[in-house]
Amino acid sequence: MKKDTLLGRIGVHGVLLILVVWSMTPFLWTLQTSIKFTRDVAAREPVLWGYETTANAYNAFWLNDEEINMWGVLAFILFFAVIALMIGYLGRQMERSWPFNLAVVAILAFAVWYFPRVFETSSEYEFFINSLIVTVLTVLISISIGLLAGYGLARYTGVSGAVILIVALAFRALPRSAFVLPYFFAAKELGLLDSRLIIVLSLVAVNQPFTIWMLRSFFMDVPKELEEAAMMDGATRFQAFRRVIVPVMWPGVIATSLFTMLLAYNEFLFVRVLAPTEWTLPVAIVSLTAGESSRTITEAAAASVSITLPIVVVIILFQKHLVKGLGAGAVKG
Amino acid sequence: MNKRTFWAFTLPSVAVMLILMVFPLVTTLWLSMNRLLIRDLDNPEWVGFANYSDTLNDPEFWSAVWFTLRFVAITVPINMVVGLGIALLLDRVGKRTRPVYMAALLLPFIVTPVVGTSMFKELFERGGLLSWLWTFVAEDAFAITDGNVQWLIFIHAVWYTMPFAMITFFAGLQTLPQDRVEAASIDGAGFWRSLWYVTIPHLRTLLLFVGLISVMDAYRVFDSVFVFAGTRFQNVESLQVYNFRVALDSNIGRIGKGNAIGILNVIGIFVVLIPFLYRSYKDQIAERS
Repeated sequence: MKKDTLLGRIGVHGVLLILVVWSMTPFLWTLQTSIKFTRDVAAREPVLWGYETTANAYNAFWLNDEEINMWGVLAFILFFAVIALMIGYLGRQMERSWPFNLAVVAILAFAVWYFPRVFETSSEYEFFINSLIVTVLTVLISISIGLLAGYGLARYTGVSGAVILIVALAFRALPRSAFVLPYFFAAKELGLLDSRLIIVLSLVAVNQPFTIWMLRSFFMDVPKELEEAAMMDGATRFQAFRRVIVPVMWPGVIATSLFTMLLAYNEFLFVRVLAPTEWTLPVAIVSLTAGESSRTITEAAAASVSITLPIVVVIILFQKHLVKGLGAGAVKG
Repeated sequence: MNKRTFWAFTLPSVAVMLILMVFPLVTTLWLSMNRLLIRDLDNPEWVGFANYSDTLNDPEFWSAVWFTLRFVAITVPINMVVGLGIALLLDRVGKRTRPVYMAALLLPFIVTPVVGTSMFKELFERGGLLSWLWTFVAEDAFAITDGNVQWLIFIHAVWYTMPFAMITFFAGLQTLPQDRVEAASIDGAGFWRSLWYVTIPHLRTLLLFVGLISVMDAYRVFDSVFVFAGTRFQNVESLQVYNFRVALDSNIGRIGKGNAIGILNVIGIFVVLIPFLYRSYKDQIAERS
């Protein structure tokens, strides 16, 4: 590659830094709103520097206890986060990382379960739990059936494979509203309205076309010889798939899971329509921002920061997979 | 792989898509021919195409159509050009600093859309950073009005959808053969000539891919317009928001008409899509022989 001159390098970084400012300003502004006192937020001229900070807004959104020391809450969260990170990091150094990853999941699940037993949480915590359950179930179901189909579609050469792929592509293009009203109607008839089940099912369904296309493109990169050798040694097709192919597919599985996870975690319309009370976080936050008083501005900011933090963690830990996933479907055209 | 094994592998996924996508579409079609109100869901009444003619005669429908078309026509080209530009810049940055830039630039794309929108909007509301900075340019602080809200929606759309184009083009640039770039530069091609004759032809299929996905996604924009404009502004409504409001959000909630709008939306996107779907089908068949 041609080396840029010093001036050229400064120019490139300068432009990129401006873009970073453009991209990050809303987040930083929200972050500082969330830690301000109401009087500073309501001021006509924004107080940009030297304001007193507070965790009141976080308290108001998450907890039912105004007396609580928020440093204690922070310590609780940091304690479990640091332990989980350390074990996860340890796992990456080891030959076999899955027991460590399992431990990380177990610790985080324990922390989520234990938190309301230590602090008195508000109903928004229930919505957070709903978000978690919906996200985890959607990812598990989508990826398991998507893996099977993606593999089949990558290896089968008949015309029906092409037809399924094209129909799936057409479904990918359809607006959500073409599905949400029938789901609403069916859920009402079946008594499933306001259940997590209907939300998970609908998310799995609308996400299936994307999942099979992406996983298929990752399977296309796995050489056929790999499973053929295993089948020569007497494994059935399914055993070869499970023992030989899936293990080398992990990057693809992680990338696809991340996008599925984001889709479920971020979904607004389906939850809003199909669950009048059993909300997930995005719906809870929109109901807050609809208010206009400055109390809810800080609270909505705190809620926004809270819902964004897991996404920031994902982007820091899994950026490579996200970029690879976006490239995978695309590069082959 | 033989046919039986293929179906054994794909059946769960195909079953999910059949039951949860094809079946709802048929239901949509049926419901669109009925008069059905949200407070009285048990008594659908067959009305034939009345919901369709009702929709097509509704000025609010056409206002939503024009808004959506403007949205697509303005945001998609900007996303593609700016996305390609930033991808070229990222390509020139060293491997160590690049992930930092990428993380910051990707965040708007993967943040919860409704939350990202309200964060962005807050900057322009009274007491917001940009609303206040506006006082240095104009006399009064900036306020969101009927007139400017759609431009804010377009700007916001570039903020959160452009990273998709950027990352995809960046991935494409990684496969650009360096010898071709060098050959072009030895032949005396400057930046623009080499971009036009080497880089863009290499990204041709990608440009089509990103363009298509962006059109699809822009056409069905909901979250961002819903949060930005809500019910506060006149004539600022995308097709999906219009559909949502007619079907569910008011006291009169007309499910039948909502479904008719849904079917019209599907027809609309397919007009754009069919040539592309046909081409992809040909590619798929060609791949197989």
